[in-house]
Amino acid sequence: MTVGRTFLGAFIVVAMVLSSVDRAWSGPVEVMQGSEIFTPPPDSEIPAGPFGDLVRKGEKIFTQTGRFAGKYVGAENKMTCESCHLDRGRKPYSAPLWGAYVMYPRYRSKNHMVNKLDERIQGCFRFSMNGTAPPVTSDTVKALIAYSFWMSRGAPVGVRLKGAGLVKLPPPARPPSLFRGKKVYAARCALCHGAHGQGRTSHGGQVFPPVWGNGSYNKGAGFYKIDKLAGFIKMNMPLSKGDSLTDQESWDVAAYVDSQPRPADPRKLVRR
Amino acid sequence: MDGMSDDFIKGLIPEVIFPYSTPSRFGRIIGEIKNSDTHPGHRRLTGFRCPVRRRTMLKKVLSGIALSVLIAGGAAPPAGAVTLMAWGKHIAKEGNGTPGSTACMECHRLKGGGMPSIGAPRIAGQPRRYIAREIREVQAGKRYGPVMSGVVQNLSRRDIQAVALYYSRVHSPKIRDVGEPDPSHVSKGRRIATRGLWKKNIPACVQCHGPDGYGVPPLFPYIAGQNRTYLLRQLMAYAFLKRQDDPQGLMRGIARRLTPEERKAVAEYFSSLHPPDRDAP
Repeated sequence: MTVGRTFLGAFIVVAMVLSSVDRAWSGPVEVMQGSEIFTPPPDSEIPAGPFGDLVRKGEKIFTQTGRFAGKYVGAENKMTCESCHLDRGRKPYSAPLWGAYVMYPRYRSKNHMVNKLDERIQGCFRFSMNGTAPPVTSDTVKALIAYSFWMSRGAPVGVRLKGAGLVKLPPPARPPSLFRGKKVYAARCALCHGAHGQGRTSHGGQVFPPVWGNGSYNKGAGFYKIDKLAGFIKMNMPLSKGDSLTDQESWDVAAYVDSQPRPADPRKLVRR
Repeated sequence: MDGMSDDFIKGLIPEVIFPYSTPSRFGRIIGEIKNSDTHPGHRRLTGFRCPVRRRTMLKKVLSGIALSVLIAGGAAPPAGAVTLMAWGKHIAKEGNGTPGSTACMECHRLKGGGMPSIGAPRIAGQPRRYIAREIREVQAGKRYGPVMSGVVQNLSRRDIQAVALYYSRVHSPKIRDVGEPDPSHVSKGRRIATRGLWKKNIPACVQCHGPDGYGVPPLFPYIAGQNRTYLLRQLMAYAFLKRQDDPQGLMRGIARRLTPEERKAVAEYFSSLHPPDRDAP
């Protein structure tokens, strides 16, 4: 119990520190003040009826993307939405859906235009899932939007909520090193993601997602940017022991993972 | 097998040389089969190929052995793993022959179904590397095991490999727990198992132990169909006692953050499931 409380205490302190970092980096966007991180509604409050069905369908696509939206997922890709958006898209600092929903539409430099959420979701399929963009009118996008909409119920709109997105780490003290990163990977990551980044399976199904190789995200994905991957790793990895790597270790291992082979950026493929 | 390099595995599993172990034991086995009477059970497994001139002596040796042993020895072990597999089965059945050695089947049963009434775990079909690793960790004192620590202390490294291979390949039906699980515990346990308790930074159990708790080889054991006394005892050992063999302390942290009711709920949930059929290697 004491340990649990200590852990919780440490978590809160870190969260407070990081929230100040957040403020410093977030530029013109207003950040929600206050100590509480938004709590999405519990599953038990998903209503009966057609809207609830759509929300539940969205959750299924979210957690078993290959099974319920397979035609938009790359042929060899083994990721799901939940691979990056932990706890079914609810966990703070792992790009939770409730943090994203209230921030769209918004301008993104990635494609130099104001994006709606459906366009953002298309990007996930194209890059992280190494597949094809589902049409905005497709059932897949409709269900995922409904799931995000329901999860952000009660959250203020148009502000960057605490715990939204990923943590932005301060620049590393030393330039990220693949050599050090490889050591961190072997000690802390390979248990689940495998020595060759292949992830792990159970009875034929993927359990731990591949972090490089043909089954992983492609070079157009957000995680192919070392700072984003480092921020994700820092707060979330290893699972259940987030914030146990130092900032430098997070930078190093992110650089190592992103230095490994993975599918090409589809925007840079030569069309013939 | 799974792409994990040997070096990496060695890093996870520090080789432990226990003062009482007899590392060369397995190297002598073949000789013992031919030349000594110390391993009559093992002799049975290859007995049909014994030269005729040794038959008489063989019969004398076997006269004291139960009929069941004679019958069990009749089946030819699968090709390719004859010696290690046979030795593993021998240890499971009769111990390794050192003074005070205990047969695994006394508690885990010959087919590895375990013994729910005393909390002896089901081990049939558990990954080979996992079984070997856990025995080593008990020997090293890193895994709390008041019973097992005495039982495994005379096992050599080769014995461990043999017994791990044997139990990873046997099949056993589920041995029923004592009494029925509490349905309210089961449903609460199911939520924790499949959804986690992320407010306390506890992922869903199945995120590491595989869908339905079927395990993720080589180092995440299956927990589906395991008996609830064992599961609860391990969660307690992780939380409060000296079970410290979990990689990176992952289970220690999670077990500590669960409340007593939550520990009981997940134990009852996974014990209510069916164990996996034998996993791929």
